[in-house]
Amino acid sequence: MSRTPVYIICSPRPLVGKTLIARLLSEFLLLKNGTVAAFDINLKEPSLLDYLPGITETAEVDDTFGKMALMDRLIVNDALAKVIDLGFHAFDEFFKMSEEIGFMKEAARRGVAPVIFFVADTDRASARGYAMLQQQIPPNALVTVDNEYVVRGELPATMAHGRILRIAALPVFLKTYIDRLTFSFTDYLRHEKDSSTELHQWIRNNYLNFREVELNLILQRS
Amino acid sequence: MAKPVVIVVGADKGGVGKTTVARTLLDYFSANNVATRAFDTENPRGTLKRFHPDLTEIVDMTATSDQMKIFDTLNSASPSVTVIDVRAGLLSPSLTALRDIGFLDAARAGQITFAVFHILGPSIASLDEIAETANFMQGAKYFLVKNFINNTSFFEWDQATYNSYFHRIKDATELTIPKLNEMAYEQVEVASVPFLKFVANKSMKDEAANYSFVLRGYVRHWLANVWSEFDRIKLTDLVGSGKSGARGGEK
Repeated sequence: MSRTPVYIICSPRPLVGKTLIARLLSEFLLLKNGTVAAFDINLKEPSLLDYLPGITETAEVDDTFGKMALMDRLIVNDALAKVIDLGFHAFDEFFKMSEEIGFMKEAARRGVAPVIFFVADTDRASARGYAMLQQQIPPNALVTVDNEYVVRGELPATMAHGRILRIAALPVFLKTYIDRLTFSFTDYLRHEKDSSTELHQWIRNNYLNFREVELNLILQRS
Repeated sequence: MAKPVVIVVGADKGGVGKTTVARTLLDYFSANNVATRAFDTENPRGTLKRFHPDLTEIVDMTATSDQMKIFDTLNSASPSVTVIDVRAGLLSPSLTALRDIGFLDAARAGQITFAVFHILGPSIASLDEIAETANFMQGAKYFLVKNFINNTSFFEWDQATYNSYFHRIKDATELTIPKLNEMAYEQVEVASVPFLKFVANKSMKDEAANYSFVLRGYVRHWLANVWSEFDRIKLTDLVGSGKSGARGGEK
């Protein structure tokens, strides 16, 4: 039986592009699989729920009840890919809980494949957060996101060794364009006739990167 | 034949977690394949009995017939380890009774291994019990258990008070029981199963259960910490079962 991927997009810093990546990934999975379940633990920032209300539900890890409601869903091998947009304020609590309850080990046992997308930044909180993740996440499940818009090509040396997903920076006018709540990446691909536009290529490139991450998951299994 | 071992878990103060600690002991011995029997003195309805019905018998420690049931069978009973969960207020009277029947003398003479887990609450009254109980402890292993399951503190912020209690008894060993997530604790209460079965997601009859993965994780983490304390005091050596290596319940 194939493993169910659980993608967790996280950073201990606000405004580094977590929701953008969660949107892209959710739309990619929706396009590829026809279904995806997204969870928004990011209510203090621009929210995934605002962009993809049809597939997103809110979740929280502030109390045990919220943790149960979320984690008991994530640990099920139901062939439904999951995307978690983890807000910066919930970063420490989520991974503290995840280590305490043995999430990674139990996930492996149950045929669930967590993939952590850590959105890098050059500050101290990010360095500390990354070091903490390295302690508890197996290297093949930890992907550093090099968002050019945030790190400007200067990915910290400590984060430059593992698996890296590069997100190219878009010109400001295109960034404003994709930040509109009604914008859909897949709809754009479908309706834009000119496939040579910068945005078209940017979306296709990112979808291709996600496909590689998926391929890696399959290869790990085999 | 192995020397009989008697472990008393008690406190004169109520609500400090005596039965919780007794339950972790029974789980620990079960995971280490140490055959154990237990007595619950919360007469007539025992909490320990509810969680470990197969091992536990309810007794009235003040009744001579029940004292005979426990202590006259020490040499003949097949599990050589006996755990007694003494209900609130009965620790001192129980120890007095044990002294009167010559049990403490037998422990001092090395015929019986006797250990007391004294569960402490966060009050001066509770700490005063230490001195009182210590009078009975010649020949016994005396463990002072700081139970943080109630999110309490033990005057660590006032070093003079702390030292006057915890460093006064020379041969006492301190043990720490960490806090368990409240909801996880309540869920185990509702399930009425040993902690080990809860972690393994099983009902009392060993059927598959449906406990929350998160709560099971919290219990597993907590139980591992409690057991590491028992490993630290070499509890399996105390009961004569050798090393606590790979145990079934930790898988």
